Amino acid sequence: MSNTPQPAPIAEERIELKARNVSFAWENTPLHWIPGDPFTGHTINVLHLLLPAGERWFVHVYKQVLPYITDDRLREDVIGFIGQEAMHSAAHDDVLPHLKKLGLDPTPYTAQVDWLFEKLLGDRTLPPGRASRWWLMERVATIAAIEHYTAFLGNWILNAETLDRRGADPTMLDLLRWHGAEEVEHRSVAFELFMHVDGGYRRRVRTWATAFTALAFLWQRGARFFMDNDPSPEVGRASLGAFYRAGRTGMLPSTPSMLKSIPRYLSRTYHPSQEGSTAQAVAYLASSPGANGGH
Amino acid sequence: MRRATTVALAAGAALLARRALRRRIGASPLWPLPALEEPVSGHGARRSTVLRRLTVTERAEPAEGVVRLRLEAPDGAELPAWEPGAHLDLVLPSGLVRQYSLCGDPADRTAYTVATRLIGAGRGGSREVHEQLREAVELSVRGPRNRFPLVPSASYAFIAGGIGITPILPMLRAVEASGASWRLLYGGRSRATMPFLDEIERLGGAGGPGGKVTVVAEDESGMADLGAFLAASPTDAAVYCCGPEPLMDAVGAALGPGRTPHLERFAPGAATAGSGFEVELRRSGRTLAVPADRSLLSVLRAEVPGVSYSCEQGFCGTCQQRVLEGEIDHRDELLTDAERDGSMLICVSRCLGKRLVLDL
Repeated sequence: MSNTPQPAPIAEERIELKARNVSFAWENTPLHWIPGDPFTGHTINVLHLLLPAGERWFVHVYKQVLPYITDDRLREDVIGFIGQEAMHSAAHDDVLPHLKKLGLDPTPYTAQVDWLFEKLLGDRTLPPGRASRWWLMERVATIAAIEHYTAFLGNWILNAETLDRRGADPTMLDLLRWHGAEEVEHRSVAFELFMHVDGGYRRRVRTWATAFTALAFLWQRGARFFMDNDPSPEVGRASLGAFYRAGRTGMLPSTPSMLKSIPRYLSRTYHPSQEGSTAQAVAYLASSPGANGGH
Repeated sequence: MRRATTVALAAGAALLARRALRRRIGASPLWPLPALEEPVSGHGARRSTVLRRLTVTERAEPAEGVVRLRLEAPDGAELPAWEPGAHLDLVLPSGLVRQYSLCGDPADRTAYTVATRLIGAGRGGSREVHEQLREAVELSVRGPRNRFPLVPSASYAFIAGGIGITPILPMLRAVEASGASWRLLYGGRSRATMPFLDEIERLGGAGGPGGKVTVVAEDESGMADLGAFLAASPTDAAVYCCGPEPLMDAVGAALGPGRTPHLERFAPGAATAGSGFEVELRRSGRTLAVPADRSLLSVLRAEVPGVSYSCEQGFCGTCQQRVLEGEIDHRDELLTDAERDGSMLICVSRCLGKRLVLDL
């Protein structure tokens, strides 16, 4: 036996996963859904640009990895995860026509994200065997790294009381918190799947670096895209300084907390169940209007 | 001096590069990535998670115990189009979700019309509609979706029981306008409880034997004679039935083997109601039997390892499969009419005939 430290899951955080049939009415949600703070709203809006294509891609990749799973309990988790991700993708996708109606057509950006996930990260014509398995495992590991951040953001949004105090639109907050809660609920699945089918530490570090760089690039360009194309006059420009300041007031995740989450993912004893609270997520889901008929 | 020139040149070059980069990002937000030629995100037609807020603009009682509601967008905006047979999910003020067939005119794009009967022993949805949905009340709706579409045919036989007339009514109008031949058997407890009789009898023209419309009120003439009605219809007529479960079962039995009626069931996601059928998996060359009490997914799961699925209720879309042959009995809440042409959600949908061929 090796002496390499192993991931340490917390058993009580595990829960059976089931997709929820959500719905949201967008008619009354304004473009600046955080009153007087277009930058924060648009920084969060980048989710609507990335997630429809990104989570569709998760589902696409995971459908292919199902035959590699030899643990029945994990297979059940992955099946529940797939349905939740499919609903996340659909729900964020359904915000895009509303943004367009409000005068900000997201298509120039989303068409490029579509290319990224459908073409660059899509299925490639590879010889069966080692090469195609390598590409599948690379993508499975990338999803595990991204899920570290979706769980981080999910935990953040569930606790972001500043947004309520600033009068953020209730429908948008409900979409974000339903999504965030399900991310917390299923936060261990992508990592456990990666550990089950591959688990290589070098791959974990490599795909984390790719995912982190890509997310930073996509987010920076996305916030800039929204601010530059916002139809209202004088919304200003997106900047790193504005991001840092919004983090300090609790309107966005704080920069230090984001930096601190990096070594945690790279630790050999990391397990997603060590962060966030399933009980809090489940409590929110029980009261979320969107997840309970949408009234 | 030379150093100053170098610095000036470098600063100039940096400025030019920045301007060039800004120009490119302005035109292409994720430069240097290309764009997918046909964008997918934000361009789908499903819109399955979107609720629409509508206002009750008119409330009428077209028959005893029946309420008809006209629903419009608060700003009078145009609503998504629908075709006869479509239904709407109403999210009632208490949070209950109930499905009601659209019974208005599809050409009227500013309103949806639904009609409901008060059911004392029901699950409370109809009571809420009758008691709470007054004029000016706002509510949310999802859809419309069509699980009961009108297939092209030279002739039609329609059978409606009571409030089951609601999806049939727009069909009658459409079929009458298209010139196809049709007949309707419309049964109810008494004429006073049967909505839309005037319009239906007008559509049917002259009544009497041999007419298009047969109205059977139980208090006057007892139970309708299904067998005689069906025997008088052409054997290739498309048969549509909506009404209480026993009526729909009776129609299936009266038609006999080899002919399947189009039924509107008000129990969504009932993956195991209906009859058994055979499924052929074209790519793996196998044929499996799907019994009446099992879903297609449960049969496939046992035989095809790795078949994708998740919610098992017809909303997440993970189990969508291509269908090569066979008439699909769509029972999901997700797929668009275009998607329904050649694919199905195997977790809830079934087969209208005897055999389905999947690309598996």
